[in-house]
Amino acid sequence: MAPVLEVNGLKTQFFTQDGVVKAVNGISYELNEGETLGIVGESGCGKSVSVMSLMRLIPMPPGRIVGGEATFENQNLMEIDDDEMRSVRGNKIAMIFQDPMTSLNPVLTIGKQVSEALELHLGMSKSEGRQRTIELMEMVGIPSAADRVDDYPHQFSGGMRQRVMIAMGLSCNPQILIADEPTTALDVTIQAQIVDLVKKLRDEIGMAIIWITHDLGVVAGLADRVAVMYAGFIVEEAPVKDLYGDPRHPYTLGLLQSLPRLDEERGRRLASIEGLPPDLIALPEGCPFYARCDYRVDRCQVDNPLLEPVAPNHKVACWVDVTTANPTE
Amino acid sequence: MSTQAKADLRTEMTGESTRPRRSLWGDVWLRLRRNRPAVVGLLVVILMYLTAIFAPLIAPYEFDQIDLDNVGAGPSLEHPMGTDELGRDVFSRVVWAARSAAFVSIAVAGFGLALGIFFGVLSGYLGGWVDTLIMRLGDVLFAFPGLLFVFFIAATIKPGLTAWLKAIGLDDLARSDYLDYLVVIIALSLVGWPGLARLIRGQLLSLKRREYILAAQAIGVPTWRIMRRHLLPNAMPPVIVAVSGGMGAIILSEATLSFLGIGLQPPNPSWGAMLYQYYPYWRHASLWPLLFIPAAILVVVVLAFSFLGDGLNEALNPQLD
Amino acid sequence: MLAYLVRRLLWLPILLIIVSFITFALGYYGPADPIVALLGRHYDPEIAAQLAHEYGFDQPFFVQYVKYLGRIVHLDFGESIKYRNQPVLRLLIPRLLITIQLNAVSSFIGVVIGVGLGVFAALKRGRPTDRIVVFGVVFGRAVPVFVAGPILLFLFARMIPVLPAGGWNGIFSRSAILPVLLLSIGPMAIFARQTRAGMLEVMGQDYIRTARAKGMREMGVVIAHALRNAFIPLLTILGFLLGSLVEGTFLTETIFGIPGMGQFAFEALGGRDYPVIITVTLLVAIAYALGNLWVDLLYGFVDPRIRQA
Repeated sequence: MAPVLEVNGLKTQFFTQDGVVKAVNGISYELNEGETLGIVGESGCGKSVSVMSLMRLIPMPPGRIVGGEATFENQNLMEIDDDEMRSVRGNKIAMIFQDPMTSLNPVLTIGKQVSEALELHLGMSKSEGRQRTIELMEMVGIPSAADRVDDYPHQFSGGMRQRVMIAMGLSCNPQILIADEPTTALDVTIQAQIVDLVKKLRDEIGMAIIWITHDLGVVAGLADRVAVMYAGFIVEEAPVKDLYGDPRHPYTLGLLQSLPRLDEERGRRLASIEGLPPDLIALPEGCPFYARCDYRVDRCQVDNPLLEPVAPNHKVACWVDVTTANPTE
Repeated sequence: MSTQAKADLRTEMTGESTRPRRSLWGDVWLRLRRNRPAVVGLLVVILMYLTAIFAPLIAPYEFDQIDLDNVGAGPSLEHPMGTDELGRDVFSRVVWAARSAAFVSIAVAGFGLALGIFFGVLSGYLGGWVDTLIMRLGDVLFAFPGLLFVFFIAATIKPGLTAWLKAIGLDDLARSDYLDYLVVIIALSLVGWPGLARLIRGQLLSLKRREYILAAQAIGVPTWRIMRRHLLPNAMPPVIVAVSGGMGAIILSEATLSFLGIGLQPPNPSWGAMLYQYYPYWRHASLWPLLFIPAAILVVVVLAFSFLGDGLNEALNPQLD
Repeated sequence: MLAYLVRRLLWLPILLIIVSFITFALGYYGPADPIVALLGRHYDPEIAAQLAHEYGFDQPFFVQYVKYLGRIVHLDFGESIKYRNQPVLRLLIPRLLITIQLNAVSSFIGVVIGVGLGVFAALKRGRPTDRIVVFGVVFGRAVPVFVAGPILLFLFARMIPVLPAGGWNGIFSRSAILPVLLLSIGPMAIFARQTRAGMLEVMGQDYIRTARAKGMREMGVVIAHALRNAFIPLLTILGFLLGSLVEGTFLTETIFGIPGMGQFAFEALGGRDYPVIITVTLLVAIAYALGNLWVDLLYGFVDPRIRQA
């Protein structure tokens, strides 16, 4: 079955006073129908920028998508004109963001904001939109939806607002839902509720999801496949069980090792990956993870490894086979 | 690989990039330098103050030196900006007036700042009824729109001040020359300090609760040190911006007062007074260009302070684009 | 919110009393006798004393003040000293009307054009249009009224002698064009700058990103989302507009010889006509205080976040 989205060599850069920030450096992946892809990585690794590039929401200037293609419904999203892109946004590919407090317009009612997309893309009238909005609000679990549809964002709690965002995102039955760290700003119990909600909706509606997070725990329970990003590159990509059970990239290893576990002995120090991510303006030659890597060899300093399959459905960008090599230290 | 070499490599390849390190104020200066209008503004301001300081050396004639043989002369080597209808050298007048502007602006800024800091700190740090009282006082002063109030004060203070000075034996000071300055400075300072006080108070109020203040208190840093190292440096930026922009406004206010006949009157030099004297020239056949001279100078100076203020604002609070 | 409203409203009369007190006091302790100014060369101590008694100047301060307050309540603002025995109010009203007309038209033009320019500049950020507007704004604020006045006169009354140099034939006549133009520069600059700043800030907000992600056209995003948020602070600035216009009005009327309240006040100040001076100051202070009150109240009302509090 053909994938619903195919990304190839996407490159995005920001031209600033201090230099050119190479935020996304040629990433490629596929998304199948109904599949949930998790993109993980630390702050600044380019995960948000990559999906914003997909939606062509990068502010240009100072940003610019300098290369690559994204094939959706037989069209290259990077090449279609503005009007066509706008009919895709919110309609066929929807996006929800991290901070529901600031992502909703404080002076408009929730009802108006949700029904905006309905009126825009599906041509509904105000009353039809309002009706559908109430249905959507009920679907995402907002109690007394009919009463609350005329309320303002500040009258909702954080979790409720994020549910509203989800309702907004799913309003036009998109094929793909992109979620950019939607639970990062919420506390843990609410986080769990939102994740459960999304899972339920996914089962009912069947949309594909790209879920961006830096939280490895959330991804484990939600994604079918996971892509790990570092410094604008994808360094590993695998089905979720394989990634957690058989990580092949030193960075992934480091991430997993740094997670505190309940079954650890007490008194053990928290492991962390030494060093800091590289400066995206002065990106070094060779593998971006070189300086922090425990498995590096000389070749890593000059040659940036490409993403290659090492097992069924499992790709890694590394010269070293971590299953056999020993960490150099 | 040795530990040291690895550390060096790490330093080289990771977060510590090869860009040079900068201190906080150095950073501010760098950003300011990049802002061309601000730099030009700074140069103009410096030029103005230098002219003011060295006025006696630069100006060949006095402000009110009349020369009826040389009325309405065009620009020449002797009179670079020509002469007006009473034969006064326009260039010298401009230079002398710069002195007034410089003096008044510094004096008013100084007094205003002193009063503003005093009341602002009192208000912000003590809070309670002291705060309410001072803010209400500011409200009352605010109820009089600027010019009217200054006008009023200047017009009413003058005789009173004269009598008072004579009474305490400062007869010399009571001579009208210096009195003009005193009146203008007092009037403008009285109108200016509530704004600054409010600003400082606002800063203190918001900073008092910031976490790094709490953190400093938690490790036992004494109050005065908190004030000096944490509160004041962080409260300063908006004050700096306000004062630098305010100097322009002060000079403008002084010019307005002089134009209306309340501020510095001849023989005290002032661009405003010059403008008033040259105002009828707009009808004049040959003297009309003179009208533009004090006008242009005022505009340039005010613009300079404005650019400088904006530049400082950007440099101190960079907006990430 | 209601409690806050009530408190602010209560402060108003107190403020006015304080203002009237200060004004009265400054007038009382101020410069030389109005009687001296009135009699000029014909000064005679006996006549002066008689006049002083007539005007009630020989009574103690507080007595005069209280009497004054009492009369104000009956809308009796005293009689002008210069225009002997004419009630101040009667003298002021026609002039006040002129001033109000001048201010109203200038403000309207200034605000509307200013806001338009501000929105335009914000949308075309960084491009030449933006730079021109920004420079225009800075220039407009830097050029004082009494500088721009003569320049405008020079341009339009002399170089291209289209407009009259002074006098006043009503607000819809040609004589009103230059003064209105001059007076509108201030509000235009203020509103252009504030609108631009407000729009820029709003356009950088997350909810604008959300609106775009929904697939809205840029114009739709601006109108439906950005403007609504950007305009809220502008409404409050309207309250301050009055105060900023006082100075401009004063100067404009003086320069163009317009018989409005500003010019009248100027004359009164010169002639030590206290009843007039005090009344004008009081009126302006009232208007100013009302403007500030407007700002406080409006902000609470328009922003739904505060409205429900």
